[in-house]
Amino acid sequence: MAEAREAALAGKYEEAIGLYERAVREGAPATAVRGLVETLRAVGRYVDAERAAGGRWGLSNLVGEVRLARGDLPGAAQAFARALERREPDSLRARLNLALMRLERGAQDSAFDELDRFIDVYNDRARRLTSDELAALAEAVWRLGQRDPQLFKDALRAFDAAVAADSTNQDAQVRLGFLFLEKYNGTDARVTFEAVLRRNPSHPAALLGMARVLRFEGAGDAAEQARRALAVNPNLVPARVTLGELLLERESPSEAAAQADSALAVNSASLEAWTLKAGARFLSGDSAGFREAQTRVFALNRRYAEFYARLSELAARNRLYQTAADLAALGVRVDASSWRSHAVLGINLLRIGRMAEGQRSLERAFAGDPYDVWTKNTLDLLDVLDRYETRAAEPVTIVADPREAALLELYVGPLAREAYDSLARHYRHRPATPIRVELFARHADFSVRTVGLAGIGALGASFGPVVAMDSPSARPAGEFHWGSTLWHELAHTFHLDLSRHRVPRWLSEGLAVFEERRARPGWGMPLDLGFLLALRDGELPRVSELNRAFTSPESPEALGHAYYLASLVCEFLAGGRNPDVFRDMLVAYGNGASTEQVFRTVLNTDPGRVDAEFDRWIRQRFAAALDAVARHGAAARRAESADDVIRLARVARDDFPVQLAAGRALLERGDLDAARAPLERAAELIPEYAASDSPLWYLGQLHRRAGDPRRAAAVLGRLVRLNAGHLPALVELAAVLDSLPDEAGAAAALDAAMYVYPMNPELHERLARLASRRERREMAVRERQAVLALAPTDRAGAEYELARAYFEAGDLANARRAVLRALERAPNYAEAQDLLLAIRAAQPRLDP
Amino acid sequence: MRRGALAACVVAACTVASAHAQTYLVLVSGLAGEPVYRERFHAWASELRSAAMRLGVPDSHVIYLAEDPARDPSIRGPATKDQLAETLRRIAARAAPDATVFVVLFGHGSDRDEPRLSLPGPDLSAPELDSMLDALPAQRVVVINTASASGGFVPVLSGPRRVVVTATKSGFEQNHAVFGKYFTEAFGTAAADLDKDGRVSVLEAFLHAKAAVERSYATDRRLLTEHALLDDNGDGQGTGEPSATAADGSLASAVYLGSGAASGATPHIAADSTTLALERQRRDLEERVAALRARKESMPQATYERELEDLVARLAEVSRALRDRAVPRLN
Repeated sequence: MAEAREAALAGKYEEAIGLYERAVREGAPATAVRGLVETLRAVGRYVDAERAAGGRWGLSNLVGEVRLARGDLPGAAQAFARALERREPDSLRARLNLALMRLERGAQDSAFDELDRFIDVYNDRARRLTSDELAALAEAVWRLGQRDPQLFKDALRAFDAAVAADSTNQDAQVRLGFLFLEKYNGTDARVTFEAVLRRNPSHPAALLGMARVLRFEGAGDAAEQARRALAVNPNLVPARVTLGELLLERESPSEAAAQADSALAVNSASLEAWTLKAGARFLSGDSAGFREAQTRVFALNRRYAEFYARLSELAARNRLYQTAADLAALGVRVDASSWRSHAVLGINLLRIGRMAEGQRSLERAFAGDPYDVWTKNTLDLLDVLDRYETRAAEPVTIVADPREAALLELYVGPLAREAYDSLARHYRHRPATPIRVELFARHADFSVRTVGLAGIGALGASFGPVVAMDSPSARPAGEFHWGSTLWHELAHTFHLDLSRHRVPRWLSEGLAVFEERRARPGWGMPLDLGFLLALRDGELPRVSELNRAFTSPESPEALGHAYYLASLVCEFLAGGRNPDVFRDMLVAYGNGASTEQVFRTVLNTDPGRVDAEFDRWIRQRFAAALDAVARHGAAARRAESADDVIRLARVARDDFPVQLAAGRALLERGDLDAARAPLERAAELIPEYAASDSPLWYLGQLHRRAGDPRRAAAVLGRLVRLNAGHLPALVELAAVLDSLPDEAGAAAALDAAMYVYPMNPELHERLARLASRRERREMAVRERQAVLALAPTDRAGAEYELARAYFEAGDLANARRAVLRALERAPNYAEAQDLLLAIRAAQPRLDP
Repeated sequence: MRRGALAACVVAACTVASAHAQTYLVLVSGLAGEPVYRERFHAWASELRSAAMRLGVPDSHVIYLAEDPARDPSIRGPATKDQLAETLRRIAARAAPDATVFVVLFGHGSDRDEPRLSLPGPDLSAPELDSMLDALPAQRVVVINTASASGGFVPVLSGPRRVVVTATKSGFEQNHAVFGKYFTEAFGTAAADLDKDGRVSVLEAFLHAKAAVERSYATDRRLLTEHALLDDNGDGQGTGEPSATAADGSLASAVYLGSGAASGATPHIAADSTTLALERQRRDLEERVAALRARKESMPQATYERELEDLVARLAEVSRALRDRAVPRLN
């Protein structure tokens, strides 16, 4: 017996079943039968479990739970009632189960009445309750938390007490984990599930819990975890549903529907399985199938708001934000106390720019469930947004930190206008304006805006009418190109609008990067070495499977490769005969076509052919680069020191990484002459390699140090034409060109730098001076405005310089205002005084 | 062009310095520990010494004490506690009641039991410096402690007629501080002259240095570990945001290294009656501008702007006339 129990607790279920069966055959006590039934249930052998239980006293509740897992609702209710009538040991659990059944069927008032009584039980008998009873009580209090959120704390305490009473009560620990997860506390949930899995690596519900934690965290392979749970218990309906939901998130509705059908085959009364099926039908555009599932759900529970809340989340994950808001609103209508529906409604209203309504919904949700981290974070974010400044810059409205709004407006407004007009031409489509562009000075705020929690790795997000992104100040200088990010997100707004939010991720992301490249030379992602190696090693996904690389990336690197690859697919498609190919694809998706259908109808081909043709194309496009990394590997790995690499470079002339590494090592030693050959060879092997460690960058350093500014300018110019996000290269290029002197080139380099990092006043000063000398009046004014917007200590000086720029541009009215601001601060500022007199001489009267 | 304006102010300041209040400058370059810091502290102290002399502080009023007196003839003695006490005693014996005494400390600080500056021999604690400064009861005293962990000097030294500046806000900010570099630099940088009156006040130098420190850390992508403080109202509460109109900053805005004469100040020689009349007009207009600014919030914007333009335009004409009449200045 003890051996069997140990085996079960360690997850050796088959061994435990064998031992229990033998014990039962040998006439062991009732606890052996109970152990057998519980173990059979754990592995999903529900029929066997019920048979093993027979009609024994003390096992009625267990039988009821087994029947419940199979969807036999009348049978389950009957078994629970019998447990109560016969005053069996787990009759408290049976009472709970009956109340939960009522709750599951929409009889909320009577269910809550029954659950309320558990509080009396606790108050009367707390010290005499067993671990299982405490866990049952915790479940009851957890549900009551829907009406009084303070009770969630009591539920936590009761679960803790249950575990303290019996540290082997793995089910209580698992349920505690799910409570944490429901309250968006992934960290504690993970710790709890991991603790169970250390003792019992096969606990199906703990495995399921980990799958949901991974899904919540967006890290790791949640589907694999769900499959591990199903490997132990193939009839675990919640695991089947989680797997199905993950498949839906990967935009695989037919596979998700198959999971729903499998779940329903086990339990035809599962609300969550029917909801999954509805979701799959919804995403497939199968209205009839959706309605059928919807009808089944509401026949089982007319107040099942979770149906809409889940579908709303699903819609949002598929970027259908308006639909998500509509669905969540239905959830609220079905059950006004569904705080999750209120929360999801609020978040999605915010995503489509309906800020005031969104805030109201979130406040309602927070009042009902103050533990919901997402709601709390988002309300905190709204406090931040309240302090932000809103500036109209048609076609966008800029929302930014007041300390940087004036600065950002100078660049965001004109760039957004240019992007909108350019994209409108490309797609022959004009989304409604103004588009709300929120620029967050703190990355954590952007992260909350996007996913409700801190920690997202992305730089920007487009919800269609709303774009949210990191402000240039949110990250260290040069870490990202905010200009191309804005362009990218605005492109998404076009893609979402034209496709009625149905464009798959691979196309939308690929097109957005493609549009960045069309915007300016060097915008968009540069080629990186990891991508080339992945291409060489055949590790990149096929076009037909590319979407999965976005919806469930294996690693951050793999996601980066997916972006780059998708942009190449777009480049490949753009090379075809149809100039409107992207518009046609987006419209087709908008009409409900699948990728396969889009390939057939718009591209007149099929996924297999696209895969093959693209593979040929990309290998041809990168043929030289692939040759340059073809043999890179073992020899380079053996090179342990810089000397080894330098020696290796003499023979491995066609190995790009080796040439680059040798060049860098020699440059670091100050041996400019020796460094030149390997660096030039590297630049020759992969001319388009323009990442931060491009050989062109080191050649620029080399030429500069060698006193050859012309050559330095040439290579740095090449570099920034390939990668306009290389801030050090832009700044250095500007300095080199200025020294030649090539003032126009220097100004162009500094102007480009502003779209990477506009927060450095010194760069604005330099550009302002160059622009003034080149008589680029508008640019000079902008740069002087930028200096001022960066709150310089010498404000009078900055106002004077702005006034001078206006004066030179012939804008006497603004020149007068600016010089007066300078003189207001510094009345004896001689240069400003002279400028004022000059302005008055040119235009005696003050403008009204 | 604006650097030229500052140069003019330097010349003007020289001419009037001896005629007006005395300025004394005591520079203390403490224990450096490493050669790199020794060079750095010496460079900052030397730069400030040169700036003071350019601004009209006589050589005899500039006393530079350093770790190694032999390294430079400008160093008057070792930077020991006793030598500093003796220096301040001597100044106290000579300084007029309206003199301004600057004590500028460079080095490494600590704040275990009490705030200290590392010196050769025993360290200098804030209470010990305070006792030394008691010898200067009537004079204006400006203490600039550019050392790390110097924030604790503020409450100890704070008092009437005292401006206390520290590189850090507390003793917890223990990393090497760069405030001294930028504070020193301010006296030779036109951009530090925020009100463009041709001179740099202690307040302006503080604001310049504070902004430059922040920029420096941002450029180097380092977390800001020094937050400078200024206290000049004697309440012992320093602030990082002083201004001429705030609780702290008023006194510092009127204290200058050197005479504090403005670039446009008429030389005290060769002033004819027309020049004197123009000077009077200018002072009158300056006062009217100040009075108008004080009324700004209570006036319609358009009226304010019109009146401001009228006043500053007249001031500009008067200033130009004064500049046109300027005679060669003596150095």
